[in-house]
Amino acid sequence: MKAAVSAGSLLLEYSGDRVKTSPKESLRDIVTEVDMYAEKKVISILRKADPGCQILTEETGRLTGTRGDKLWIVDALDGTVNYVNHIPLYNVSISCVEKGNPVVGVIYNPVLGDLYYGAEGYGVYRNHVRIKVKDGVPGECLFAAAFSGKKYDPASRSEEFLAFEKVNDTSRGCLRTGSASLNLSYVAEGRLGGCWGKANKIWDIAAGIIIANLAGAHVEYHYLNPEKSLVSYAVAVPSAWDYLSGIVLPRK
Amino acid sequence: MRRVLLVYGAGAIGRGYLPWVFSPQEFDYYYVETNPAIANLINTQKQFTTCRIRNGAYECMTVPVVQCFRPGEETAVIDKADAIVTAVGPRNIYPLSESIKGTTKPVICCENDASIPSLITTLTGNPNVVFAIPDVITSNTAPPELLNKDPLSIVTEDGTCYIDERVSYLGGNCIYINQDELSKQWMAKLYLHNTPHCIAAYLGYILQVNYLHESMKNPHVDRIVTGAMNEMQQLLAKKFFIDQQFIGWYADKELQRFRNSLLFDPISRVAREPFRKLAPNERLIGAAQLCVSCGIIPQNILLGIMAAFCYDNPADPDVNIKYLMDSLAPKDFLRIAMQLRPGEALYELLLKRWDNDIGTLRNLNDI
Repeated sequence: MKAAVSAGSLLLEYSGDRVKTSPKESLRDIVTEVDMYAEKKVISILRKADPGCQILTEETGRLTGTRGDKLWIVDALDGTVNYVNHIPLYNVSISCVEKGNPVVGVIYNPVLGDLYYGAEGYGVYRNHVRIKVKDGVPGECLFAAAFSGKKYDPASRSEEFLAFEKVNDTSRGCLRTGSASLNLSYVAEGRLGGCWGKANKIWDIAAGIIIANLAGAHVEYHYLNPEKSLVSYAVAVPSAWDYLSGIVLPRK
Repeated sequence: MRRVLLVYGAGAIGRGYLPWVFSPQEFDYYYVETNPAIANLINTQKQFTTCRIRNGAYECMTVPVVQCFRPGEETAVIDKADAIVTAVGPRNIYPLSESIKGTTKPVICCENDASIPSLITTLTGNPNVVFAIPDVITSNTAPPELLNKDPLSIVTEDGTCYIDERVSYLGGNCIYINQDELSKQWMAKLYLHNTPHCIAAYLGYILQVNYLHESMKNPHVDRIVTGAMNEMQQLLAKKFFIDQQFIGWYADKELQRFRNSLLFDPISRVAREPFRKLAPNERLIGAAQLCVSCGIIPQNILLGIMAAFCYDNPADPDVNIKYLMDSLAPKDFLRIAMQLRPGEALYELLLKRWDNDIGTLRNLNDI
């Protein structure tokens, strides 16, 4: 929590400035110098609090440690496009994975002051309030999608748009917020009925996955390409799970 | 003719105090209780014991109970009840309102929140919902010698119950007053009782004692609680123009109450749910804000607030206060967990005094 809030304060500090951006894999996949500052801040706090741990971050990559059982996954700025456009929908997202399972998740939106956190056996909260999903049938739920930031591929992009269209037309609607961690935390709090993403990066969703899961959401995710940390996932409140998974998950 | 009373909540007030207000000789008691252990025991025993403290001794009464329902099972009794009493705590008002929707029977709210009657009216459509102030401390347990005789024993003070005069036809051992008087009593209870009471509990938790009177035996605690009481007295006089004589009498009565060694008021009950007590309009942050707005520096209440921040009871629903305190810098804790804005007076006061106040609390045991 300390790392997330410290990095969030740093993001806020720089948010009024003209931020220098560099492209990554696509026009929508960019990095700013503030991403790097915030990430360094998180790494230094984690290293101090948990010496020897391994860390996987969006910008720096994997940092090895003496302890192989524990991995911190960090996205110091999830929602970079929102950030550079002064849209207050971006988060710091940090999770801890033990033996392959996420066990701690923290998501912090510094503009709204929303701190989501949860850990196995400890419950899940926003700031001081314990949260849980708000179950509801799909027709009464709002959903959100996170599109892959990878290079444009007409076939897979077309699949994403088709799923988006179907959910959008058969529910209260479908958003594209630009922050996967925001979507997941909103499912956990009962603001959204579900969300999904295809070929997202693990650091976008690791914290949100555990938070949504602890709050009572049905969660399913799998690696598309572990080397590149690419994952697809779907998360929904129990009553909307069959509906959402039927549309967005590949048929087995 | 005997009448029927349906009581939601077989806890401290519902079980311990209410039978002294509405006598079991006149009323048949039915309860609705969420705790299955208590509900089962009441149904097995068909009675329980409540002991009130009078002249330094316990006066005990056996209360027969017709039935104790689990929530949702009481529908048939709602129709035949002469009155419904709620003593369930704010978190249970929504499900309770679902259960009593449709009835126009009088509902007496013995809740520690004056907005509850209008909330229940809104939720149920019943206009016949009134507020009551049980001016009493009731423990939700009893000393071992009483529990050995009856595990449902409960101990209460010999208090006074103030009830909205609109239901005076119900009679009972209480004082029916109009809404202006009720409002004055509520202000006194809210600030002269609730604020110092929970401060004594949070300080007691730091001392690792179990009961409020044990906390008050510590001279530092007594001094801080008395100081908080003084700050509240100043506030009531300055902000609400309540007469000094009434305030002084009420404050003395409360302090004696907190020190009462027969009461066995558990710290865990009084300190329960610190985030609720630290909410912006509640008894700690809310009271401190009002003091600051009137030019009173609430230094003892600030110590009480800091003590509430340190309430890390793992059995409490608000145990996450510990995670937040352990993880966040004080400035972030105040902003994120307490919703205080940087720059506002209370934020700055708490921040400035943080280390000093934590030090004072750590040294409570040094006498």
